[in-house]
Amino acid sequence: MRKYLSLLVVLLTLVSYKVRADDATKLFYTLRTKIATVKDYRADVKMKIDVSFMRIPQLKGTLLFKAPDKMRLERNGGLSMLPKKNINLTISNLIPVGNVTVIDIGNVTVKGKKLRLVKVIPEDDMNNIVLTKLWIDEANLVAVRAETTTRNDGTVIMDLDFNKYMSYGLPDKVTIYMDVKDYKLPKGVTMDYNNEVPTAAKDAKPKAQKGTIEINYLSYAINTGLTDEQFNKK
Amino acid sequence: MIQLLRIELYKIFRRPRTYISFGIVTAITFVIQLAMLTDGKGFVNFALSGVNEQFDIQGNILNGYLITYIILQSLLIHIPLLVALVAGDALAGEANLGTLRLLLTKPISRPKIVMAKFLSSFIYTVLLIVWLAVVALFFSLLLFGKGDMINLKSDSFIMILQKDVMWRYGLAFAFAVLAMTTIASMSLLLSAFADNSIGPIISTMGIVVVLTILSNLELPLFTIIKPYLFTTHMIGWKGFFDDPVPYAAIGKSAVVLVLYTVGFLLLTVFYFNKKDIKS
Amino acid sequence: MGSIIETRNLSKSFKHFKAVTDLSFTINHGDIYGFLGQNGAGKSTTMRMLLGLIFPDSGSIYIDGEEFNNGRRHLLSKIGAIIERPDMYGYLSGWDNLKMFAALSDSSIKAARLHEVLEIVGLKGREQDKVKAYSQGMKQRLGIAIALVHKPDLLILDEPTNGLDPQGIAEMRALILSLSRDHGKTILISSHLLYEIEQVATSMIIIHKGRKVVEGKVNSLLNPDETFIEIDILPDDVIQHKIEGSEWKSMLSTAKHGSLTFKMNPERTPQLNSWLVGQGIGVTEIRSKHSLEAYFLSLTDDTVITNRAI
Repeated sequence: MRKYLSLLVVLLTLVSYKVRADDATKLFYTLRTKIATVKDYRADVKMKIDVSFMRIPQLKGTLLFKAPDKMRLERNGGLSMLPKKNINLTISNLIPVGNVTVIDIGNVTVKGKKLRLVKVIPEDDMNNIVLTKLWIDEANLVAVRAETTTRNDGTVIMDLDFNKYMSYGLPDKVTIYMDVKDYKLPKGVTMDYNNEVPTAAKDAKPKAQKGTIEINYLSYAINTGLTDEQFNKK
Repeated sequence: MIQLLRIELYKIFRRPRTYISFGIVTAITFVIQLAMLTDGKGFVNFALSGVNEQFDIQGNILNGYLITYIILQSLLIHIPLLVALVAGDALAGEANLGTLRLLLTKPISRPKIVMAKFLSSFIYTVLLIVWLAVVALFFSLLLFGKGDMINLKSDSFIMILQKDVMWRYGLAFAFAVLAMTTIASMSLLLSAFADNSIGPIISTMGIVVVLTILSNLELPLFTIIKPYLFTTHMIGWKGFFDDPVPYAAIGKSAVVLVLYTVGFLLLTVFYFNKKDIKS
Repeated sequence: MGSIIETRNLSKSFKHFKAVTDLSFTINHGDIYGFLGQNGAGKSTTMRMLLGLIFPDSGSIYIDGEEFNNGRRHLLSKIGAIIERPDMYGYLSGWDNLKMFAALSDSSIKAARLHEVLEIVGLKGREQDKVKAYSQGMKQRLGIAIALVHKPDLLILDEPTNGLDPQGIAEMRALILSLSRDHGKTILISSHLLYEIEQVATSMIIIHKGRKVVEGKVNSLLNPDETFIEIDILPDDVIQHKIEGSEWKSMLSTAKHGSLTFKMNPERTPQLNSWLVGQGIGVTEIRSKHSLEAYFLSLTDDTVITNRAI
């Protein structure tokens, strides 16, 4: 009897998990569908790239996006600088496509906000994304944080702040934390000036570092039907 | 003094040789611009390979500001030769020509003559750098257009917004004038020692080349003497393209260069004032 | 007439070579002062010291009674000079060279004065040519124009006839005499040729190996009674005893086999000649040479004798 009882408990537990997992899976797919409603946008942005070996001033410009993965920063004659395509600046690129397995971790509280944490694992082994953790604000159906582990590009974390464009699932501010490989040009090529820091001290720095990109979205124009050509202009 | 300076400038600028320097600056600038017009994309891709792995940079990277920087980078280390052509010739050339003894029998004190030679070499240097600025910046912007400027250091990548570039060039050219004035004063000192101008010109180049090598050697011994070599500080103009601009270091470099310049000049006056003119 | 230049015990060594030793001399206003010496005797070094180009190791220089070092600048404005070659800026015209050096001497010099000195030195009409196209003689003239332009009291001319052709030398001599006579300049002129000095100078000094050998008025140094008359005779003639008993005995300097040398005024040479002939002595050649020149020649090498022929 005790045997059956314990079996029942196990079964019940499994079922409850199954129910919760089904719930989480549904939540994820709903979220993904909502995100997919934005086919393209054109947004005025202020972007700040913060990588230790890079000194880049705040860039103002127009950020163009077209699903699934086209992105372009227009700066009126200035240079555009974006991370390589596979680490895109929109959340749509940080969540796996196709069939996924969703594991519900449960509710967590972050900065006084109750969030649902789920782990998403793509069923397709060839996907660049290995695992995505999503912190979802269920009431507003938006992900406020995504942590994606990729096959080739390390781990990318994205924090999203929502306000005016919440209904489209579009953030006002995005902060991306990513792995950046160290960079070194052979000395002598550049003939540096002012190496105040002794060479030894510099070498002690870690080879892989974190980079941060902060984007403030000032305004969006959504689903205006951007064409591919607009992303290929020189 | 004004009269004497005017005569020195008259001698410099009435001589065809003087314009060779301006011609060389123009020619090298055009050659680099031409090379960049044909091969610039490949060059940029090579230089940016470290960054391109992780970032996608688009737009007019190879713009006039970057080209100007490349021109300065490759040309400024050769400008000492052009400065020496005039400053190294200032006293030794006249000794060789035989006009020095006539000049010195005129009722003018020798320190004044040295000062006039220095000031005229300085003005020539300023004009040469201004000319370089005009040819490099103006024509590069004309040929390659404007844009944000990227600057690659061995351990960092710097991007400067285009509205933020021109004042940096202004200060960089001013610094280049200071660095080249140091060369001019050294050349003048060597010129005081010699009786023909080939010696000072070659010695100037020799000293610059040797000290530049020492400035760039990453050996403990040289690391100690490095801060005392003026060649270490001559590339201080690059500091203006860093972010943030290392004003303290640039200021220190400028002080070192000024001290060297004054030192060379005082030595020249001191030595020349006692020199027996046998040429 | 006071002295315009006075040197006291000037000495100068280069490394281990004594260029000038203990040299004292005086040049008076209005003199044409000949500075005679072999090449390397110390003439140029001395002249350069007078101009402040070379600093003496010891001794002093007074110009117009003023110590040179105390008033170098204003004393130099009283002097015009050519030292060795008259080198100019070849890429400039004669006019530009003259104008430039004039401005260095005295900025108030006007164009009229430049024309005037070009007239004096005979370069008028060629002043716009580039100096590199000038002949040696023209460069010398331009050099003198530059030396003259600021109206100095004293001209220092170092070997001004060097590199000139015979006509050029004659013209230069005339120019020097005219500068002294018509323009009242005191002139210090150096040469390694006695006859050149002799033709223009009023006073002279001979230096050898940096030391003074002799200094004085040219007409007293070159006293005609001090002339050597050399007479070649047929070797067989025995005349010693004939001269012993004659008026010429006191003038006989040396008598060798086939050669006699008398020290006397050359005006009496015809008388001597006819006396010798009257004695039945075969005279083959008579040469005259002043004792000073003979002395100077003894210091110098053969090239000087060759030059003498010019």
